[in-house]
Amino acid sequence: MNSSIYDFRYETHASFETDAGLTPEIVEQISKEKNDPDWMREFRLKSLEIYQKTAVPNWGPPLDGLNMDQIITYVRPDTPMRGKWSEVPDDIKNTFERLGIPDAEQKSLAGVGAQYDSEVVYHNVKDEVARQGVVYTDMESALRGPYADLVKEKFMHLVPPTDHKFAALHGAVWSGGSFVYVPAGVHVDIPLQSYFRLNAAGAGQFEHTLIIVEPGAYLHFIEGCSAPKYNVANLHAGCVELYVGKGARLRYSTIENWSKNMYNLNTKRALVEDDGIMEWVSGSFGSHISYLYPMTILKGNNSHMDFTGITFAGKTQALDTGAKVVHNGRNTSSHISTKSISKDGGICVYRSEVIIGKDAIGAKSSVNCDSLMLDSKSRSDTIPAMDVRNADSDVGHEAKIGRISDEAIFYLMSRGLSEEDARAMIVSGFAEPVAKELPLEYAVEMNNLIKLEMDGSTF
Amino acid sequence: MGEQNILKVNPLPTLTWNHLMLNFANLPLESGSQVKADIPSEFDGIETGMGEEFVSFVENHAAAVRVIRAGKGQDLGVIRDENAGTSSEVILIDAGEDSQVTFYSHASEKACPGTQMTRLVKVIARAGARVTVIQSQTLGDDVMAADDFGAVVGDEARVHLIQAELGGKAAFAGGCAALKGYKADFTEETIYFGDGSRRLDFSYVTRHTGKKTTTSILASGALFGSSDKVYRGSMDFIHGCSKSKGREAENVLLFSKEARNRSIPLILCDEEDVDGQHAASIGKINKDLMYYLQSRGLTESQARQLAVESRFNPVIDEIPDESVRQEIHASLERRMNLD
Repeated sequence: MNSSIYDFRYETHASFETDAGLTPEIVEQISKEKNDPDWMREFRLKSLEIYQKTAVPNWGPPLDGLNMDQIITYVRPDTPMRGKWSEVPDDIKNTFERLGIPDAEQKSLAGVGAQYDSEVVYHNVKDEVARQGVVYTDMESALRGPYADLVKEKFMHLVPPTDHKFAALHGAVWSGGSFVYVPAGVHVDIPLQSYFRLNAAGAGQFEHTLIIVEPGAYLHFIEGCSAPKYNVANLHAGCVELYVGKGARLRYSTIENWSKNMYNLNTKRALVEDDGIMEWVSGSFGSHISYLYPMTILKGNNSHMDFTGITFAGKTQALDTGAKVVHNGRNTSSHISTKSISKDGGICVYRSEVIIGKDAIGAKSSVNCDSLMLDSKSRSDTIPAMDVRNADSDVGHEAKIGRISDEAIFYLMSRGLSEEDARAMIVSGFAEPVAKELPLEYAVEMNNLIKLEMDGSTF
Repeated sequence: MGEQNILKVNPLPTLTWNHLMLNFANLPLESGSQVKADIPSEFDGIETGMGEEFVSFVENHAAAVRVIRAGKGQDLGVIRDENAGTSSEVILIDAGEDSQVTFYSHASEKACPGTQMTRLVKVIARAGARVTVIQSQTLGDDVMAADDFGAVVGDEARVHLIQAELGGKAAFAGGCAALKGYKADFTEETIYFGDGSRRLDFSYVTRHTGKKTTTSILASGALFGSSDKVYRGSMDFIHGCSKSKGREAENVLLFSKEARNRSIPLILCDEEDVDGQHAASIGKINKDLMYYLQSRGLTESQARQLAVESRFNPVIDEIPDESVRQEIHASLERRMNLD
């Protein structure tokens, strides 16, 4: 298979670039350019102070290759925001077409807020969704729109800039992203989809996603990421904040396929009220280094969280992924199920924490992680932490690590498959529990990615 | 009274989030007389579960050092530690080819006059050797206890470690086995009991370098009162240890709202052809079991006791001394009898 279809780029014509490196002046400049409200300008400057005071993590894969002075934090493409697909410039359109965006839209996906570099360039919510009262817009518009007060109240409330160094960086330089508001009782039948991409050399991407699902409502949000290869160290430090109201349900699906030089230091967090359900489906494929641990705070009684994840690390990759869950409400439950595959010297780390709070009477949590080693050059570590602070709870954990058995390969080969096909089939089967949680077109993309990764000769 | 030292012990073999406070533990120990123990060089550099700071502290303040050597094919039988409970001791066991040694040390409340007790056992198990080390303690609530263990396991040698941490103001324990030989085997069983405000902190590490090495690490515990426990169990499959297997499991019963349990079972792996599994189960006692036992006439406290002892007994039964087994049962019964 030809891997180049997932690894392409066009020249960018940026109309505005900040100086490399990060100073209060740059942050002021970003804020001015984006026409921020005053509180946001102050928030950015405060975050910058925290960023400069906070040390990089002493755990996890090395971040030595990340030179912040070289990373240009803000690149805006030539196009101002567009509402119609026909008005989007051709080269950007081509990029999206090769990623399958218009096709996906034709298949009745609700809206596309595709991000090209750091600005939302294309934005479209289907009329039927808007008629239900659902707001799907870019973050910049949300800051000034009718929901401005709500945004001010919730913005970086779940993930404060003090959380870690890259959350602080995000607070200082965030740009773009989506805002979704689903009113009480509204069931959004079609998934909302947004595709993030990074294109300019040395450009960081710091999109902010804020989703509020009011009581009794339902939403499926899909975030897909794909970026072309580049030589300069690239950084992605996005932030996702999800508020799941009483009895509401939110499904958040992601396939991340960043280019192989990307540092993906993304922070995702959800707060779930009484009887609410949070479902995560997460696939991590690309990037050079990833730190990704979607976190769920089960605040409400009877709230529930499900996490299904897959990570595939190939050559030159160290993907440190997992999940965090904090049980605070009574009778809360969580289930984490992850798969990881290491190949060609790739490093997979599963890292998690399950915290059962003092008042989380009747909490139940189960964690299940399987790791598959495809050769002896690769590495796979499992680092799950559990902290249980109340006796009336049940916490279970299981992990397995191993290889594809010779017997399975032998059997499939005896049925006429080549060894490569047999291995690919077994790996696809291993990933199946994740694939079946994804919408069809994403499952297809994931299977293609696995095939690409398995076909070592193209890398 | 000596100077107060804070040692960094029970290090996690790889770091994780600092806020979990699992990367290492702080162990406060008083340094007694500065006596540098005379340690034969073959025992240098053996990794232990509690780590270098602890080993260096104990070796520099050892009140007693004992070297046990078993010649080729020799069976030394059961060796009892007569000094168990003294402030600081180092036991060094060099088990020759095909030899057999069982070393057993029990520190009871009566035997320990001071406020701290440390035991360090290092083992060299040469080809075909069988070594069993048992460390148990039922110390009083004012004693700081630390039990550490490190072994190098040769071709087809087997090392078995039992640690029963049932008393003390705080109990720190660790074990590490370097499985260097072909088919080297390490089995480890821990039982722990937390009541009052006892702090328990464990770290076990197996380093697999030999081919076809095997490991089994099992821990079973019960937490009452406001006890606080940390358990680290790590299997490290190092490149080249093909066809190695590791099993690790921890079962914890929680009986109190105030108790806190932290567990972090690790698998580190850079070898394809291995089979590693770990499991942990933490929570309250099964309601149906409690109901059944009470319907048969047991009080709630007796039912709890039965549930805990049924988990501990297989380990307690391995202690080769009837009087110690009875002492442990009596101690557990007294602590669990809340009627």
